[in-house]
Amino acid sequence: MIHKIVIADDEAHITHVVSLKVSNAGHEAIVAHDGEEALELCLQHEPSLVITDLQMPYMSGLELAQKLKDNQSTKDTPVLMLTARGYALDQHELDLTNIKKVMSKPFSPREVMAIVTELLGGASEAENRNAA
Amino acid sequence: MHNARSYILPLVMLLGAAGSTAALTVWGWDWLAARDSSTRVISIMLGSCALLGAIGWLVLVSLKREIGRLSVVIEDAATEGSDHGIAVSPWLMPLAESMTGVASSANAKNTVLSTQMREMEIRMRLSEVERAHTEAILDSLRDAVLVTDSFHEITSSNRRATELLGIVSDDSKRAHIHQVLGATDIEGAIGEVLSSGLPNVSRHIERSMATSLGEGVFDITLATLPSADANGVGGVVTILRDVTREKEISRMKTDFVSQASHELRTPLSSINAYIEMLIDGEADDETTRQEFYGIIKAETERVARLVDNMLNISRIESGIQKIEPTEVDFVKVINEVKESVALRAEQKDIKIVTKSGPLIYTAQADRDMMVQVVLNLVGNAIKYTPEGGRVTVEVDSDESSRAVLVSVSDTGLGIPPEAVDKVFDKFYRIESYKRVAKGTGLGLNLVKHIVETMHKGTVGLESEVGMGSRFWFSVPYETDTG
Repeated sequence: MIHKIVIADDEAHITHVVSLKVSNAGHEAIVAHDGEEALELCLQHEPSLVITDLQMPYMSGLELAQKLKDNQSTKDTPVLMLTARGYALDQHELDLTNIKKVMSKPFSPREVMAIVTELLGGASEAENRNAA
Repeated sequence: MHNARSYILPLVMLLGAAGSTAALTVWGWDWLAARDSSTRVISIMLGSCALLGAIGWLVLVSLKREIGRLSVVIEDAATEGSDHGIAVSPWLMPLAESMTGVASSANAKNTVLSTQMREMEIRMRLSEVERAHTEAILDSLRDAVLVTDSFHEITSSNRRATELLGIVSDDSKRAHIHQVLGATDIEGAIGEVLSSGLPNVSRHIERSMATSLGEGVFDITLATLPSADANGVGGVVTILRDVTREKEISRMKTDFVSQASHELRTPLSSINAYIEMLIDGEADDETTRQEFYGIIKAETERVARLVDNMLNISRIESGIQKIEPTEVDFVKVINEVKESVALRAEQKDIKIVTKSGPLIYTAQADRDMMVQVVLNLVGNAIKYTPEGGRVTVEVDSDESSRAVLVSVSDTGLGIPPEAVDKVFDKFYRIESYKRVAKGTGLGLNLVKHIVETMHKGTVGLESEVGMGSRFWFSVPYETDTG
């Protein structure tokens, strides 16, 4: 099944490599360069998953995840965070979002893909349950 | 001889008195016989009184003279080295001997007491000098020292403590520690140390507190002082060391390491990810592979640049970096930089224009560092100027401040007003610039350090969003390298 995945990072090399990895796995990658653009694309495309950086211009990855959770159409969208500052995140803040996993940079695209597959599998099961 | 003479006078007087008495008796008897009985009684009584008065007067004269002699003899005995050669009458000898003995013994005791008093005076003077030395040593310390007794009252404090805690010296009334330290828990800690009851107990605590000189962080040492009998605790010495600056430096270092590691992680992330993609065969064709190789190379260079800049800044900040001043010709410096960035400028179709007056613009400076400063400013101008733009590098002199003035103007994006004060800060990057080009956030900080810290010059900028920026720096003709 082809899933839409929004990839947000202000580092073009990072969005490029991650989008290539998910595209090679058969999914559709939608690239955003900052938090605001990412939110806009999420509301527009209603993706199955969001992969985001933490520190981004205009809106941080955490704010983005909170806004997605607050929005009816994206409230269940799982978020994978890739960050060089994982230690700066507070579990209490994470609990207010759908951030399912935080991976620290430098990351392995292979491991990212494994998590993506796991999260999409979970999403598919939820969709199936809802359909049933 | 003296003794014989002393007997003659009383003897003559006694014989004279006896003769006179006999004559008067004979004559008086006849005279009395011719009188009546009452007249006789009165006359006899008057005669007896006169006789007794005369004898008494003679005795008194004699006694006065002997007492005078006795006092001279006693004085001789009491005063060392004094002898008037006077002797007292034999009948006064026992008394004289007894009293001269007492006087001699008093004289000996007096000598011992005088010696002891002199020793005491010397000791007191020495202890006064020692006390002044101790006070001077304590006053020369940069740490505040307070001594409190078992009632938590301040018995002494050094100059630093007086300045820091605003202690008013009043010998008549000792200040309570609570008045001086306010609502801190240091008083409690002093109490705990005091209650240990053991001499030589010490404790360290660190507290942030408000002082007369402002808010600060203090490393506090509390130690018990022995009591007067040396068996118990008589008080507590509290030493406050101001570690505010050390804490600030430590925090800045931690922030720097944290920020630097974050900045390094980003290019390392790219390098790691693209290498893994190549290993996993995710790059299908040669063009993609070449693209990946290019990214890996560029990101590796970015890491190297970041490390170089961090090391340079760190060396300058820690004072290790020294400058090697030579006569630097700034027209040559800008031409050299123009040449090294020519390819980059050409790729973006940016024109580099150099301008200078008719003079030779030189200053005593470190040439390599000046090249680095101009290169960083021109490099930034090229990075943030859209294709087809123009970068102007100008050299001039400012006679009023006796400095060479170099400016780099561009037709680029411009800097938002809120960012103008921050662009020279370490790791600061303008958000909207991040999408335009890569940077370490260290280039301008290095420029500021080289110009201001190393060359005592000045940096500055004027900018308007959308219209471009003008960065400038000035370096004095003569740089004081001391």
